[in-house]
Amino acid sequence: MSALGQDLRTIAALMRRGLNEILRVPGGAVPGVLAPTIFMLGLSAAFGKAAQLPGFSADDFRTFIVPVGMLQGAGFTGAATGVNLARDIEQGWFDRLLLAPAKRPVLLAGVVGSACLRSLLPAAFLLIVAFALGVSWPGIGALLLGAFLLMGFAAAVACYATVLALRFRTQQAAPLMQVGSFVVIFFTTAYAPRELLSDWLRALADINPVTHVLEGMRQGFVADVTWSTTWPALLALAGLVAVFGTLAVRGMRRQGF
Amino acid sequence: MRASCVALARRALRNAFRKPQFLAPLVLFPTLFLAVNVGGLERTTSLEGFPEVDGFLDFQLAAAITQSLLLGGVSAGIAAALDIEGGFFDRLVASPTPRLAIVLGRVLAASVIAALQVIYFLVLGAIFGASIQGGVLGVLCVLAIGTVAGTGFGALGVMIALRARNASTVQGIFPLVFVVLFVSSAFFPANLLSAPADVIAVYNPLSYIADGMRQPIAFGNELAPLLEGLAAAAGVALAATGLSLLALRGRLRRS
Amino acid sequence: MLVTLLRPTGGHARVAGFDVADQPAEVRRRIGVALQDAALDPLMTGSELIELQATLHGIAPRKVRARGAELIERVGLSQAADRRVGTYSGGMRRRLDLAMALIHEPEVLFLDEPTTGLDPTSRLTLWEEVRRLRDEGTTVFLTTQYLEEADQLADRLGIIAEGRIVAGGTPAQLKAEIGTPHLDLVLADRSDLGAAREVVAPLGDHRPTTEGCHLSIGLEHGASDIAPILRALDDAGFAVAELELKQPTLDDVFLAKTGEHLEGAAEPEPAPEAELV
Repeated sequence: MSALGQDLRTIAALMRRGLNEILRVPGGAVPGVLAPTIFMLGLSAAFGKAAQLPGFSADDFRTFIVPVGMLQGAGFTGAATGVNLARDIEQGWFDRLLLAPAKRPVLLAGVVGSACLRSLLPAAFLLIVAFALGVSWPGIGALLLGAFLLMGFAAAVACYATVLALRFRTQQAAPLMQVGSFVVIFFTTAYAPRELLSDWLRALADINPVTHVLEGMRQGFVADVTWSTTWPALLALAGLVAVFGTLAVRGMRRQGF
Repeated sequence: MRASCVALARRALRNAFRKPQFLAPLVLFPTLFLAVNVGGLERTTSLEGFPEVDGFLDFQLAAAITQSLLLGGVSAGIAAALDIEGGFFDRLVASPTPRLAIVLGRVLAASVIAALQVIYFLVLGAIFGASIQGGVLGVLCVLAIGTVAGTGFGALGVMIALRARNASTVQGIFPLVFVVLFVSSAFFPANLLSAPADVIAVYNPLSYIADGMRQPIAFGNELAPLLEGLAAAAGVALAATGLSLLALRGRLRRS
Repeated sequence: MLVTLLRPTGGHARVAGFDVADQPAEVRRRIGVALQDAALDPLMTGSELIELQATLHGIAPRKVRARGAELIERVGLSQAADRRVGTYSGGMRRRLDLAMALIHEPEVLFLDEPTTGLDPTSRLTLWEEVRRLRDEGTTVFLTTQYLEEADQLADRLGIIAEGRIVAGGTPAQLKAEIGTPHLDLVLADRSDLGAAREVVAPLGDHRPTTEGCHLSIGLEHGASDIAPILRALDDAGFAVAELELKQPTLDDVFLAKTGEHLEGAAEPEPAPEAELV
């Protein structure tokens, strides 16, 4: 039995367990799946008229913020897997995983893998509602790209949340995980194109790698998918996953020994 | 009776301040949201139909306060639910403590925290350039409306806790806070809301509470909106307290 | 530290032939650990959990189900195997925990206070299982606060107080060390215990007294020492209300080993622990 085969089996088994949170807890998935959609609906109901501002790059505020909602869902999912890990640590289940012969990075892959998979759910729900309300179809290419970016973002947030979970070892770190992902999504061109942002927010958005990810997701909805908007998104995502992934692996290796 | 209320209120406050990681989200999250809203949508003040303001911050501040007060209510509910889950509630019920005090104590604590939240945002606003058109009197009005509203939200939280009995259900109310706030005139002028918020906002007490607090900050003291705000806040507070006492009675009868 | 969950700050230890600090992976392959809080996922069923554990430990996919079922059967959970762990009682969880620790046939099994909080029947069942494992050749490393449990199950045991091993050996050896039985006395009138103590001092060693008794005297020659003691007290005018002759138990060993430390030291309690190897 090959070592790689064993690793894959372990990852699959851990991912399967990660799905229980959605499948077996009545109403457990609801907040995570619904929240981004609620946010999108609420934001467009309150701020919809902002799309009338000169210089706004979309006809419709809702279309403009659809990708924000999708990223929010991915971010929330990533944070949630971190919270689950914190709970596992608090309750001792994590010790059991540490005692198994599985290598530490493999354990991390299980956590991150389930985050990636689960992140598609809130996004799918949001898109269904958005299309039903008249948001135009962005094309299959854009959707596939979006799914990829989404999973990448979920992975990065899951790694960030894992670092926190390993550091604090308690579910009380949950708000820190959730707020982290929320902040990083909103300090971007979330609400308005960069020219319309106030100076300080524009400066932040310019240095925030998630802005590129957001623009990469948005392009199909407001215009066409172009390589020039896509590659910065991929690069930014790769960077985020590399940084937080490394920190997470290092954190994992420090557990037990 | 009064002594019990005060004692329980003090306990609730002490516990709240001992765990700042629970308190911080009450103000930090609305602050972040405020920052993002203002940073992103500042130009909307130039839209046709937008009331005259000295900056979008002046307009948004009341929204942040309202949001923070609502979250305070959720937090009071979670704390109450933890008491029930952990058995402290049963301990109180089995003691000579007057039943009303069990609810009112926590509601009293909620009103203290509410006042602190309002003050925080007023100071924050002042630091970042918001003008308080209504002066000192205006500040007092905002404080009055905010504290009463916060008390009401706290009572709502307690009511939910008494019905739900576990903390995670109460926590699930969190997204609902945003829903009700979005369909009000808290974040954006009533005349510029899109469907269906424009219709719902008219009937939403949060609209009047937020507008009532906004009045002294952005526009200057004017009686009508202030009274509407106060009335809405008081209405919510009284209804919520009544409902939570009913919930308490229901809970006690069951056990 | 012995199960490689915590890095030692000093010293050495070898488990199943491998150094704990240098070769943790090898150690982990050969040990099974049942954790005190029976860390289990309440959302999964018993079967699912044990099959997950099997997968994690590298058991071949086609053997996973069979092995899982075998262990579930062994700990008597076949009926409940398809129910979610959240519905299990405390005793059932412990048993599942044990099954999971055994999934890969470890050489050394670590049990951390396995019967704490269990009802008497479950406790006896677990004792049966521990004996059976030992008979099959598994080394069982058990920590417990119940001296009776240590007495019943251990081939060898050690007593830890304040982080150091203060005694070690077989239960018989340890009891023999303390050696003699003792006499617990309750006096009718406890107003002058000091004088009473002086009266019996030449006749036997004083032992630390436990609750409810006023005097506790070691009987070097066994029961024949009782009569002189009673006579001495009677002559001195002390009336005895109750007396009890006690054979040495591990309680005595423990009290003797740690009681001596307590004399003059600050108030108790060091967490008492005994290990069986």
